[in-house]
Amino acid sequence: MDEYTIGVLTNVGLFTFLALSAYLLLIAGEMSFGQQAFFGVGAYSGGILTAMYGLQLPLAALGAMVLGALAATLVGLPTLRLRGLYFAMATLAAAEMARILFELFHFQIEVEGETTGPDGTQGFRGIRWVFEHGVEPLEYMALVYALLLVVLAAFLAVERSRLGATLRSLGEDPELAASLGVNVGRLKLGVAAVAGALAALGGVLFAHHNTYIEPRNFDIMLGVHSLAYALIGGLGTALGPLLGVALDIGVLEGSRIFGGARMIVFGGLVAVLLVFRPRGLLDERVVHWFGVRAFKRS
Amino acid sequence: MLQDLLQNTLDGVALGASYALLAVGFTLIFGVLRRVNLSYGPAIMFGAYCATWTYLNFQAGLLVLGIVTVAGAVLAGVYVERLCFAPHRQGSAIAAMVASFALWMQLEEAATLALPKHLYAFPALYEGDPLALGPLSLRIESLAMLGAAGAISALLWTILYRTRFGLAVRAIIDSPTAASLAGINLPRVSLLVFALASAIGGVAGYLIVASHGQVTPMLGMWATLKGLLAMMLGGLGSLPGAVVGGLALGLIEAHSQWFLGPQARDLVAYLLLFALLAARPAWMTRWTSTRSAS
Amino acid sequence: MKKFLLLLACAASTSALAQRPQAELSCRFTGTDFVYDCVIRLMRAGRPLDGVQILLGADMPSMPMAHNVAPVKAKPGAKPGEYQARLDLEMTGEWAVKLRLSGPVRDQLVLHYEFDEKGARPAPKRSGTPPRK
Repeated sequence: MDEYTIGVLTNVGLFTFLALSAYLLLIAGEMSFGQQAFFGVGAYSGGILTAMYGLQLPLAALGAMVLGALAATLVGLPTLRLRGLYFAMATLAAAEMARILFELFHFQIEVEGETTGPDGTQGFRGIRWVFEHGVEPLEYMALVYALLLVVLAAFLAVERSRLGATLRSLGEDPELAASLGVNVGRLKLGVAAVAGALAALGGVLFAHHNTYIEPRNFDIMLGVHSLAYALIGGLGTALGPLLGVALDIGVLEGSRIFGGARMIVFGGLVAVLLVFRPRGLLDERVVHWFGVRAFKRS
Repeated sequence: MLQDLLQNTLDGVALGASYALLAVGFTLIFGVLRRVNLSYGPAIMFGAYCATWTYLNFQAGLLVLGIVTVAGAVLAGVYVERLCFAPHRQGSAIAAMVASFALWMQLEEAATLALPKHLYAFPALYEGDPLALGPLSLRIESLAMLGAAGAISALLWTILYRTRFGLAVRAIIDSPTAASLAGINLPRVSLLVFALASAIGGVAGYLIVASHGQVTPMLGMWATLKGLLAMMLGGLGSLPGAVVGGLALGLIEAHSQWFLGPQARDLVAYLLLFALLAARPAWMTRWTSTRSAS
Repeated sequence: MKKFLLLLACAASTSALAQRPQAELSCRFTGTDFVYDCVIRLMRAGRPLDGVQILLGADMPSMPMAHNVAPVKAKPGAKPGEYQARLDLEMTGEWAVKLRLSGPVRDQLVLHYEFDEKGARPAPKRSGTPPRK
């Protein structure tokens, strides 16, 4: 496998964390335009911890996830009471504020004779932990997918459990859930925090894969993309977001058959797909059908 | 100091007029369809690009370019409506929104394929000096924008309150179910409202692009963002609110930029929106009866 | 013996300090939209860095992930430390050119250049939120 393909596959893996983050909130009934902010928080904090303070990647990733969860809780506390477009716009506003703050964020120190650190709109260069520790591209990709596997397994386990059912009931009919004794506010906040941590994990992995991040990487386009990935892949299972990311990045990056008209073709396909499958490819019906088939006693 | 304040206010109102037009277009679509159209800005950009292409190939004059912009925006708008909103009328709001995002990507790529440079010059609306009002100055383009906003608001009011079509629109905004029970043809009215909203956006887009003398593919996202922001600031779903929200946004931006710098301009607007949403005053959340996005 | 080891350690640490390669791009517009012939000058510690495999990619910072430029392998150029590559971009404007180095040196550099009808210039430092529209 050549390095380029490895790079593409790595991107698919790490953006899936972001898509899962949007998916989780969607299941719980909230449409967020702002997960890219937590992706950014993860990227910046992870980069700062490794490139400026010499932390090892696993610890830095953990730190980034904690910060992502914290940031998500901060945003979620005043806004999770909102529904629909109101919540979406609140998260959009929060994410854009975060991006502007990244543009104003100058924090550089001398590390081994080189100025390192976020430099506002000039971005944050030199996140080279991967190179300094001799991690091959294939190894990094394996790391990303190992983490993804763990997360997906956790998702699939939760989806079969009562917690999963409670979450989905939250999304479909919060009043009913509340009347059944679910503490809607606390559960949603918990979901938001986990979603923030997931997005942040994706961000750390992104920063170290790219070695360079800048505020423009974390704009609204990324946020809407993450929602799209979750929806296109399907809202029936956590494998949906992975499928969505794989379809978008994998197919489009991998094949240049359409030359410059990629988005025209893909965009059209997505719109048409949604007409027939408004909850995505792997929607609840498909997952249920598959589950019934898989576990049917013959 | 006072002069700065007044000048900023003047600039802010002019800027706000363009935002108001964008917000009005968004609100029309949201009011009638209860959906957010992420392709609203891109449709306007498509119109502006059609005009740019016309200008580059035919050296057309300002009026023709204006018509082409509006026509292009309406064409793109109708395309979006047919593909993204008509099929999901009874269904999922998110699906419609994500579909509109997919078409946003399409429109942006189509525009950049046809005209690949990152920036194109657009004939300026007016080449002369700004108007001097005592110590203050007002650009003629701003005057044109204010005039257009005023004229379109008046036109819209006339349509909404003096025509049968307007009656149908207001009925749908009030209650789509009741309206369809009363025999109003929802699909047809929705399509026409979409076309109207796109036309308004086209006018706004044309004036914006002609005022700045340039057009870039970023116009799409910019217009969508500003329109959404202004619509939310003015209270979602209300047309007068959209105008007020647009003007308010313009004023906030003009003053923030002057006193706090260019980054503050956007930061303050977003902060204000976030704070308003978090506080949830009643006038901002009229539409909580709308079912959640899924 | 100790002195020798100390000297060796100093030499090693100096080279570790100046480890990061630097690169410069100079590109010429070929006349076909939007293909550029680029010469990459790779240096480390002020001296030309030769014999490195460079894989070039490019993305547009203002529209992340919207474009995709086919990755290009650079060929050795005329002088040591120089490499040649042909970049096929989709638009003019500011691009972030990503140089992935492998071979004797493994690293990744990201350079911001403004591409126009003539060639490429290093992108000017931006002051704030990019101009609207």
